[in-house]
Amino acid sequence: MPSLRIALAQIAPRLGLLEENLEQHRAILADARSQGAGLVVFPELGLTGYLVQDLASDVAMRLDDPRLMDLVEATKGLSAIVSFVEESADHRLFIAAALIEDGRMRHVHRKLFLPTYGLFDERRFFGAGDVLRAVPSRLGVGIGIAVCEDFWHVSVPHLLALDGAQILVNVSSSPGRDLASTSEVGLGTATSWRTLMRTYAQLTTSVAVFCNRVGVDESFSFWGGSEVIGPSGQALFSAPLWDEGLFTVDVDLADIRRERIALPLLRDERPELVARELDRIIAERGGLTRDSTAADGSEPGLDVAPIPAIDGSLR
Amino acid sequence: MTAPERSPAEAAAAAPEPLFELPKELAIDTAVARRVIAAFIRGQLRQAGFEHAVLGLSGGIDSALVAYLTAEAIGPERLLTLLMPYRTSAPASLADAQDVVRRLGCASEVVDISPMVDGFYATQPDASALRRGNFMARMRMAVLYDRSVTWGGLVVGTGNKTETLIGYTTLFGDAACAFNPIGDLYKTQVRQLAVAVGVAEVIIRKAPSADLWPGQTDEDEGAFEYHELDRLLFWMIDRRRTDAELVEMGFDRATVERVGRMVAGSEFKRQVPPIAKLGPRTAGVDYLYPRRRPGSTRG
Repeated sequence: MPSLRIALAQIAPRLGLLEENLEQHRAILADARSQGAGLVVFPELGLTGYLVQDLASDVAMRLDDPRLMDLVEATKGLSAIVSFVEESADHRLFIAAALIEDGRMRHVHRKLFLPTYGLFDERRFFGAGDVLRAVPSRLGVGIGIAVCEDFWHVSVPHLLALDGAQILVNVSSSPGRDLASTSEVGLGTATSWRTLMRTYAQLTTSVAVFCNRVGVDESFSFWGGSEVIGPSGQALFSAPLWDEGLFTVDVDLADIRRERIALPLLRDERPELVARELDRIIAERGGLTRDSTAADGSEPGLDVAPIPAIDGSLR
Repeated sequence: MTAPERSPAEAAAAAPEPLFELPKELAIDTAVARRVIAAFIRGQLRQAGFEHAVLGLSGGIDSALVAYLTAEAIGPERLLTLLMPYRTSAPASLADAQDVVRRLGCASEVVDISPMVDGFYATQPDASALRRGNFMARMRMAVLYDRSVTWGGLVVGTGNKTETLIGYTTLFGDAACAFNPIGDLYKTQVRQLAVAVGVAEVIIRKAPSADLWPGQTDEDEGAFEYHELDRLLFWMIDRRRTDAELVEMGFDRATVERVGRMVAGSEFKRQVPPIAKLGPRTAGVDYLYPRRRPGSTRG
């Protein structure tokens, strides 16, 4: 299997300026093509900027939007993952990441997990996706696409790998925070992501690609630090933190086969076990069956039992 | 030739006295902080369509640090510093501020706010020091915003996280700004960063003061020491420890309760004033846009 050159577009999208960002995407595709890249990865909401809030409806595009089609047409002989605000026919807004290649839109992933806590407020402005699929690609291997928070849920890389992905791609707009001097690269967020990507690459014996933006939206500073991790969990490339740039890294896709033969974790996965136990847990949470970890006397679907009164009745 | 070997004890004795006490949980990577803050300052200005900045330089460490960081981000030639003494301000404050200006090579202007303040209070000789102090802070704000027009720059905030959390600020006075690069740094972290960027030792060493009346210092007025207060706030706010947990960690119960009240009591100073909800879309409630968006850039 041939070597694949992956180009990481660690850019600083302009907030709300769709046309400017489209133009930059087209320029980067051309640049990456001239550098021999086979896969170009752009960050989450690279076409709109992250903190769009009520601008979301202004910058949203349907999948048949001519502006998006222009970008798709710029991928002759290339694969790319681009991210934007998607508007469905029934006018729901999603954070989407699309695999576009050879002039067609191959697959669209809608962000599944929308963080709405701490500094995040995504669920207020967007709907959550309902579908997770690995997709075949012109690169000869399955690709699994996820957006930022999706990878803070272990089920996502797990399902993508079981579904046939050999390259896991996470596109992010991760704001830097927690500037402790004790962390690996001086930034708590970066340490967390570096740990996650290495772990997923190893556990799924896949190539893991992380593309994170840089630049500033309001209070948030995005820290970059895009990476490509090999199937045994070792970093093949780590982009600098904070710097904008187009970074290329060559990956030997045969490493995936070698790792999976030597370490057949995926062969030994037990999806039927996972599904069975999940069915049970879902039934317990729904109060359809007794919760094995609930206190005696608790109501269906609840796990704490009220204290009985002295006469033995429930208060 | 190599330097003669010294025993660890000799080396320790010869080491300069630390400039300040830094609780270890508050240590930050200053190189990362400088990068983030420089990009933040440039980003805020670019998004707003400005290239220049203006800030009030008091002679204290917070505004000195912000002046250094701003000069580092956009170049000293684009920074205007305003030195705005009142007649009772410590002369050393002005001298220290002028030293910052000299070292940075930025533009500066001295505006004596005494006539403005004294003019207003001429008929109210009994006005308290607190009222006068707040008024001075608001006069300085008014001067900064006037000069932001003539200089064509945004007003950069210089308040730190400690004073913001305990409410040791003047609403619409020193707290007023277009953006604030150090508002998420505790005082001890400000000191750490000030050392890293090369702020003069005399500024780092001197007792923090609002300089609203002679001899005033923050730590006397609030009856705290910054390194202890910062530690307490860090565990209370950033690490979400309950009062009981804080006491168990060794913090004094009365202090924990007092600081908790200061934080809760100053919530209003940290928020945009509420608007009565009447119409379909209300600013800050269900009309939510980034401050800078297409069409908002000047020119």
